[in-house]
Amino acid sequence: MTSVLVVIPARNEAANLPDVLRELRAARPKDDVLVVDDGSTDATRGVARGLGCRLIGLPFHLGYGAAVQAGVKLGLRRGYGVVVTFDGDGQHDPRDVTPLVEAVEGGADLALGSRHLAAGAYRGGPLRRMGRAIFSALARTLTGLPLTDPTSGLKALGPEGQRLFALARFPDRFPDADALVLASRARLRVEERPARMRPSRNRHSMHGGARGFAYAFNMLFSLLVAVLGREADLRG
Amino acid sequence: MPIRQKVFFLTIAVALLLVILELVRRRRLRVEYSWLWMASGATIILLILRYDLLIWLTDLVGAAIPTSTLFFLCVLYLALLSLNYSVRLSALARQVKELAQEVALLRAEREEKG
Repeated sequence: MTSVLVVIPARNEAANLPDVLRELRAARPKDDVLVVDDGSTDATRGVARGLGCRLIGLPFHLGYGAAVQAGVKLGLRRGYGVVVTFDGDGQHDPRDVTPLVEAVEGGADLALGSRHLAAGAYRGGPLRRMGRAIFSALARTLTGLPLTDPTSGLKALGPEGQRLFALARFPDRFPDADALVLASRARLRVEERPARMRPSRNRHSMHGGARGFAYAFNMLFSLLVAVLGREADLRG
Repeated sequence: MPIRQKVFFLTIAVALLLVILELVRRRRLRVEYSWLWMASGATIILLILRYDLLIWLTDLVGAAIPTSTLFFLCVLYLALLSLNYSVRLSALARQVKELAQEVALLRAEREEKG
């Protein structure tokens, strides 16, 4: 059996973590769980300790991508066969982790949970759906891979995927479509599996409101950088 | 250039150079940044003493009056300077991120052992 580390980047998720952890342990009792506290101002750290999971606490807020990256670095150093990234806000369904892990065990370097392959999944409001459709089309064009949900935060990484995510030049704000472009340029095997997304439980979602436009702009630019980036930056 | 102007600007340029020297001496400014500021001060002095150089430059770029050449050069200089800062800030941000991650990882390792 491959050793699996589930990385949960968490910023002020004290209210959601207990439910997320309970569900995750019910679905994947053998996995190690690592909470990366990204400079929370609430009780996230104490809650994570109380729940008995591994914890790394960033000394200050670094952002989602950098928190994920810190978790992946730990997984890489401890030699985990698979590192799963899993959101701490209850948006991901732990039952979707197993197919992703199996995809990696079957040879994928990077497996993504896609809400578009799942029936009846939550897809967000019209603007967000439109944004995702555009980025999917871009990601498909740029990578040549049949991707349907490049913005998915539910991922499983094999050792090669982990190495890519740990690179110094890895997009560390919101690794989405740009990360997939890098993965395809690094010739990693990327696969998708269905994932049932649920509405996020906290109101302060990452891409909400006016930030959505800033996000879209940053992502477009980041995609450009991923396409034009130097080959040397793809190796450690 | 009227002598009054010359004296005024020369005083400012020399004062600027002295401030830079003092900052470096007290180690408030890193030596590798100081050359840029020294060069700026020196350029000002050069343009004051050799006003004909500025006129030649004005003709070269096709500006109408020397004042606009001077303003253009200042704006360009400031723009390049901020670009340079952005580059340095980006590098610093990446270094800080990696240090923060490393601190968190090492701390977790120590807690697991101890």
